[in-house]
Amino acid sequence: MNLKNITADRLVSLYRSRDLSATEVITEAFREIDRADKDIRAFISLCPERALEEARRVDSRVAAGESIGPLAGVPIAIKDNIATRGVATTCGSKILQGYVPPYSATAVDRLRGAGAIVIGKTNLDEFAMGSSTENSGFFVTRNPHNLERVPGGSSGGSAASVAAGLSLVALGSDTGGSVRQPASFCGVVGLKPTYGRVSRYGLVAFASSLDQIGVLAKTVRECAQTLEIMGGFDAYDSTSAEIPIEGVARNLDRPIRGIRIGIPREYFVEGMDREVKDRLMAGVKLYEGLGCEIHDISLPHTEYAIAAYYLIATAEASSNLARYDGVRYGLRENGAGGLHEMYRKTRMSGFGKEVKRRILLGTYALSAGYYDAYYLKALRVRTLILRDFQKAFERVDLVLTPTAPTAAFKIGEKIDDPLSMYLSDIFTITCNLAGLPGVSIPCGKNSEGLPIGLQLMANHFQESLLLQAAHNFEKAGGFEIS
Amino acid sequence: MKISESDVEYVAGLANLEALPDEKKELAEQLSRILDYVEQLNRLDVSSVEPTPQVVAGGKHAVRDDRVVARTGSSEAGRTVQLFKVPKVITER
Repeated sequence: MNLKNITADRLVSLYRSRDLSATEVITEAFREIDRADKDIRAFISLCPERALEEARRVDSRVAAGESIGPLAGVPIAIKDNIATRGVATTCGSKILQGYVPPYSATAVDRLRGAGAIVIGKTNLDEFAMGSSTENSGFFVTRNPHNLERVPGGSSGGSAASVAAGLSLVALGSDTGGSVRQPASFCGVVGLKPTYGRVSRYGLVAFASSLDQIGVLAKTVRECAQTLEIMGGFDAYDSTSAEIPIEGVARNLDRPIRGIRIGIPREYFVEGMDREVKDRLMAGVKLYEGLGCEIHDISLPHTEYAIAAYYLIATAEASSNLARYDGVRYGLRENGAGGLHEMYRKTRMSGFGKEVKRRILLGTYALSAGYYDAYYLKALRVRTLILRDFQKAFERVDLVLTPTAPTAAFKIGEKIDDPLSMYLSDIFTITCNLAGLPGVSIPCGKNSEGLPIGLQLMANHFQESLLLQAAHNFEKAGGFEIS
Repeated sequence: MKISESDVEYVAGLANLEALPDEKKELAEQLSRILDYVEQLNRLDVSSVEPTPQVVAGGKHAVRDDRVVARTGSSEAGRTVQLFKVPKVITER
């Protein structure tokens, strides 16, 4: 059995009919990781004993005739910036090496409560800062479609684990595209829910007003099922919304005839990869064929999004990352000269280059004399970007764009040029600035066999419609596996 | 916006970091390039636009009752971090 060719639905139905046991599947998943992950390197740590124990528990429930839920016995991978009680959580950073959280994220607790089996923690750009997973403090993850290419980032380990069939579902986090862009590069589905939809309790903060836990899987249905289980109000996150989430998976098969899809002209800019554009246009045709209305729309402030994003995200990060001082977590360097020396030495040896660069940029943007000119201005521009979307959603139900301007780039290609790496996030960051839900779905491959992703965005809390449209696309386009 | 090596040093101090001598020049250049890029925001007049620090559902944060509840893991917190022992804070002059 290969996880590449099966979905959660099928797996659970085989458990229910007792044609397959969770123990077999989890054992096989670790065997496959042993074989394939030495090249791909999706995982930072694994938890086989605990996973097998949980698998046996699922099997005995089935044996006892109890009913099991849609993710029971399903192997899932967790991005290593999401807290897992008793299992090391590093954020891909040396500064958190050895840190074992005494609690789990709400999302993880809910998934495990539903029987999902956490098999390990996946690699990421340090503190989720990056678009290629090359900024991990430990090692580089490779794209399963081509080992010379990046898997995208920052949830590169999660995307690679799903694409390679090492896990069925994976959690990621998305601050500026970190779930959707690696999903696009690895040819899987990646969902970033509305800000407030999934509790951030236990998600290590990078930029608190932009961060959201998301999910990666081969199919839209698995994303919907995972969202339903992990989403919803949580008293431990004051930004989590009290808006019901049921019915997302149930509505997927509803037809989308008459749905209005907007194509923002600002997203089809000069210099976009030819093949990306061609695949996208084929995707638009497909939606037309499904009876959707296609509208030309404008999101006029798009060109300012990257500048606003990199000021807001780094300002929030500089504040959030101040807590890593050697006192409470992981690494502590010797501070013979007193407390401040210990802080400085710990932060200097614990943080990698990109994290330091962003802390410096954020600190600068918040420092006396520059706060109004940079940070506050960026927040005002954010309002304009939000208004663009509000206006657009008066005319259309969904917005369709590419997920990334190119397919997966080569390892090493952008690592020395931070600005060009930042620019590769152009299509995904507006969604975070405006707090909207977005999904990347596979829409074919380029001539080199690298996957290309199509992004859909919806209005706040419209995940049901968003995933319904995504599911109809994968079904009609033949991208669905069953 | 041109960032000098001494700007880098100053900001690093604010952030409890040190700019190593061999990194200072490169950081100054990279930050200058990034700040040049963000200068484009100055093309917009946003003086009358309200800032959006966060997009929260219904525009307000949820609050919960002020009541003590048992939390998983609270007893483990002290153990895993050795009761937050730090180097001495006060030094003799």
